[in-house]
Amino acid sequence: MSQPLLEIKNLHVTIEGKPILKGISLTVNRGEVHALMGPNGSGKSTLSNVLMGHPKYTVTQGTILFQGEDYTALSTDARARAGIFLAFQYPTAIPGVSVANFVRTAMKARFGEAFEAKSFRKSFKGALEALGISENFATRYVNDGFSGGEKKRHEVLQMTLLKPRLAILDETDSGLDIDALKTVSEGINRLRGPELGILLITHYQRILDYVQPDKIHVLKEGQIVRSGGKELALELEKTGYKPYETEAAEAHAAGAKGVLG
Amino acid sequence: MKSVQTSQFPAETLEALTPEAPKELQVERRKAADRFTALPWPTAVHEEWRRTDPARFNLTGWSLKPQQRTVTVGWEPLPEAAARQGVILTDLRTALREHPDRVMPHLFQSGKPEQLEKHAALHQALWSDGLFCWVPAGVRVETPLSAWIEPAGTGGRSGAAETDSVIFPHLLVVVEEGAELTWVDERRPGPQPAAPIWINEMTEFFVKRGGTLRAVRLQQWGTGAAELQLQRALLHREACFSNWIMGLGGGITKGNIEAVLSEPAVRAELLGIHLGAGRQHFDIHTLQDHRAPNGFSNLLYKSALSGQAEAVTTGLIRVTPEARKTDAYQANRNLLLNPGAHADSIPMLEIETNEVRCTHGVATGPVDDDQIFYLMSRGLSRPLAQRLIIQGFFEEVLNQIPAESVREQLIGELSSRLDRIDASGEDSGG
Repeated sequence: MSQPLLEIKNLHVTIEGKPILKGISLTVNRGEVHALMGPNGSGKSTLSNVLMGHPKYTVTQGTILFQGEDYTALSTDARARAGIFLAFQYPTAIPGVSVANFVRTAMKARFGEAFEAKSFRKSFKGALEALGISENFATRYVNDGFSGGEKKRHEVLQMTLLKPRLAILDETDSGLDIDALKTVSEGINRLRGPELGILLITHYQRILDYVQPDKIHVLKEGQIVRSGGKELALELEKTGYKPYETEAAEAHAAGAKGVLG
Repeated sequence: MKSVQTSQFPAETLEALTPEAPKELQVERRKAADRFTALPWPTAVHEEWRRTDPARFNLTGWSLKPQQRTVTVGWEPLPEAAARQGVILTDLRTALREHPDRVMPHLFQSGKPEQLEKHAALHQALWSDGLFCWVPAGVRVETPLSAWIEPAGTGGRSGAAETDSVIFPHLLVVVEEGAELTWVDERRPGPQPAAPIWINEMTEFFVKRGGTLRAVRLQQWGTGAAELQLQRALLHREACFSNWIMGLGGGITKGNIEAVLSEPAVRAELLGIHLGAGRQHFDIHTLQDHRAPNGFSNLLYKSALSGQAEAVTTGLIRVTPEARKTDAYQANRNLLLNPGAHADSIPMLEIETNEVRCTHGVATGPVDDDQIFYLMSRGLSRPLAQRLIIQGFFEEVLNQIPAESVREQLIGELSSRLDRIDASGEDSGG
């Protein structure tokens, strides 16, 4: 029972030969919410993509253990079926594929034979309502022409229905107005429970007013440089990331946002 | 190079193909046979043969036994209401016998072929079986009418595929003034889908003044098929023509799809999807032929190709000096599922008047890695993710298919074709 949900050990990651993560170690237990903060270019999105098994990144050292098993080399879809979920910062559009069809297919993949086609409509409708999404959303194409807020709600909608064990939220708060932020945060809070672990990746402390983290980590140049409780967010609010930035990181953030974004 | 000789077409052999046909048709057969003999086989020098080996279609090594019935045609029974209203749906030979006055003004009357002349002449000389549908003026056929064509298979003692090696099916659909029809014609693989077969097919659509024809073609020839297809729609004043082509089968397919907007205010939509795997090859020429004012035409062709499949889409919009105020559009998009797959898009405009609005757009690219990652991050396996993307890619064509039942049938056929491709591993090999 004391086995951690997620255990990242000394993780080193490169993209096209360039080192991005340089020895990350992090443990998330069931029921915990961890916030991972840091300036642009510090490697936050790289970590979320690597946890999901993005093929563009290479793990050169270290391991990712999920429920005690080594997931470092596991395929993306197998991780998802095991209950790892990534809410994307910039979810991609899939023209011609309706939201309902997509979500149904994903649920079938996630739950296998336990998926009940009959109850799909009801649970789908319920989740839409809870997130304040109109019903015609079902027939729209995945992320195609969605506003920033619609994309984020759509991510939380999937998270609600796919019932992950570990949810990685990659800047789910970015680009949201205050009302949308509240709705999305409520959606996340509803899913909190003793079984679910959450890794909340954010640039701003704003969302932490709504989703209270148990622990906060600060990432700088691919390393966790501080870890602490809620009070760390308040400190960051005062000081900003200045103490954690270097000229190199700033230059990197300005020049290579597309790669790391 | 051995090729077919005129001596193979004695007059009595030609006449024996459709003994029931009026005299003038037999005369036309002989003329066509002479034309065929006089014309040279096309070579790769010809523009329309630059991307498809013409030798695959010049009948070298094929056995031509025109006296044998080698095509099976069939159709769903005509709904009672339609029959009462005078709609005709039957095989072409029966139609020639029973309704020569309906057939003869239309058969081979949609215009001269601009390409594939030699092959078209051979078709006119040797066609034997086909389908005929006629909708009287003012009649609206409520339910879609469906028909199919398939190679007959060997059947006889001769056994070998050679007796079935060449077929010349002909389809004729006539929608009279103010009438309306949804038509589905299917090409089936027949009893020996892998057997080599050479298909030289022609389809003629006539839509008279103010008529509406929605024509859906589902091509599921067997893997051994080499197909030449000519399809021409002759469209009269204020006619509405929409055409969907779903090409799933065949080994090598060369098609000419022509819409002739011969009179003012015609509306034509040409939509097509092709799904290729293994070494399938599709070479499609389309023509939006604006010959009169105030016409509208829109073409959208999409191909998804895996394995070492190839698609060539050549689209010509032609606007004559008379065709003022023409709106004509064409787009071609190709999705390459494998590095071995290949697509060419060749849009062409020939515009001889002002006051036109014409656009064309082409795009070809591989499956988007971000889309694959996004779907896999939701638990979908790579093949399943790819399949969803393919279905989404075709959706803008599929969702316009008329009649729920037809749309479901085509989506079902597409899905089973994808199943077979997945199962056979055609998409990765070659």
